[in-house]
Amino acid sequence: MTDDTHTPTDSSGTATEYRAMTDGGTDDQARTDGGPPATVPPDDETPTWTERKERRQGLSQLTYQYFERSRREDEDLRAASTYVERDVLGFPTWPHETIRNLAISSFFVGIMLLVSALLPPHFGEPANPGVTPAIILPDWYLYWSFGLLHLDPINPEIAVLGGDKVMSDELYGLVAHGVIFGIIGLVPFLNKGSARRPVEEPFWAALGVAGVIFSVTLGVLAIQNLVPIGLDLLLNLVFLLPVLGGIVTYAVLKTMREGYMYDLNRRYYMLRPPK
Amino acid sequence: MSLKKQDEMDHNAWLKSQDLTVIETAFLTTLIWLDKRLRIVDYLELLETMYYRANLQMPKSHTEQYDLDNKFWYWYPLYSLGSLSILAYLVAAVSGALLGFYYSPSTAGAVAQGDPTAAYDSVIEIMQDVQFGFMLRSIHRWSAQFMVAAVFLHMLRVYFTGSYKEPREVNWILGIVLIGLTLLFGFTGYVLPWKQLSFWAAQIGVEMALATPLVGEWAAQLLFGGFTLGQATLVRMYILHVFILPFVVTALIALHVGIVWVQGIAEPH
Repeated sequence: MTDDTHTPTDSSGTATEYRAMTDGGTDDQARTDGGPPATVPPDDETPTWTERKERRQGLSQLTYQYFERSRREDEDLRAASTYVERDVLGFPTWPHETIRNLAISSFFVGIMLLVSALLPPHFGEPANPGVTPAIILPDWYLYWSFGLLHLDPINPEIAVLGGDKVMSDELYGLVAHGVIFGIIGLVPFLNKGSARRPVEEPFWAALGVAGVIFSVTLGVLAIQNLVPIGLDLLLNLVFLLPVLGGIVTYAVLKTMREGYMYDLNRRYYMLRPPK
Repeated sequence: MSLKKQDEMDHNAWLKSQDLTVIETAFLTTLIWLDKRLRIVDYLELLETMYYRANLQMPKSHTEQYDLDNKFWYWYPLYSLGSLSILAYLVAAVSGALLGFYYSPSTAGAVAQGDPTAAYDSVIEIMQDVQFGFMLRSIHRWSAQFMVAAVFLHMLRVYFTGSYKEPREVNWILGIVLIGLTLLFGFTGYVLPWKQLSFWAAQIGVEMALATPLVGEWAAQLLFGGFTLGQATLVRMYILHVFILPFVVTALIALHVGIVWVQGIAEPH
């Protein structure tokens, strides 16, 4: 096409080929006097709906093919399903569900108002850039993050680089945040399948418990100057307690699983005693 | 053919010919008045759909369907944590809008280092002079605490019931983003009273931003308005807290809930 448009006065064969890509417009009339093609294509270059629907090429064709497959899959699944749609599946939104939700909401809002009336917030000194306070702390929900920033004692010093730290202590804390968020974000891509209960997957439940304990121990690390434990011991506890908690959880869940299996087996053999 | 305008559809005459009660007449008059101007009839199908939506029956949950309520009722609070955090968010929004009438984001007024600034004084004024001001600030603070707590517990519930699994990865990621934004909400709000702890929390924030390679200085200037704290920092925290974050977080919450709506609740089985 690019070659042809530079020679607009050539044979009719090229012209029909060219026309086949549009809805059969007025290219011959719209042609300029031998110059290069106009930057803005004339209106009849726009594909018609028929042309669009055919989706002959490229990504649009692949999309179309996949959607066709997907629709067919849906139909097959629906045909194979034994699900029966019943007339009444639940309670009406009004009044049943609405009133229940209103009750829950007003209860919760009431609790919030009650707590804010009973426990008024503390208000401290005005800001003073000249005096560093003895205790710098964020709100409780950022203790874990502040604890990550206190991990500088374990920032590795590389002997090869003459005992220098590869990262500054602050950057080390930031990278720790990235690692934590990254691991949490990866969870659904690593753990798949239909298992839902912690008993079904002791490893992932143990990992979760270890994470929860880790966030608590990091919080304790953040308030280290209020904790009467030496820093070395505290750092060890920060990493050992989560592992310990994880192991205990794993053991407990495995045992529970054995218990379930034992129970199931016992019932089975009570029903069908071995001969 | 006369040039006189013909009114073939004389609705008022039709209305008079009917034998209607006062309420019916009033209703129809209003309807005709509105319809002449807004052509409601074009949207009639939408209205009908909305009418039926209001009487929609929610599908029974797994536990209801198999009559397991007697065994699982004590799990239910864990399944309401998401909506509880939205509720706390709404309470915080309302009380925060009221607080915004009285708060001024300004470090002016401090003669020497450590003097109370205008921002600090306005919070003091809210707590001491404004009618119900102390309660208002208390409500705002506590609803924020409740929201963060509910969001964390919601995440734990989702993790331990495996609700993040295969078709729901996107919502899990979105949830992580929302937790981060919630914490940022809390952080910016913590800075606003410009008390000693606020200042040093912001100081740590600046140091963290500056420690980031490549984009560090740019980020510090964008978020904190410079490398040292001052008026610019306070205003940026304020704009983040009352303008940018509310829009972003509300939109993301809507998306988060919308995806749950489309995909269905992942119930344990």
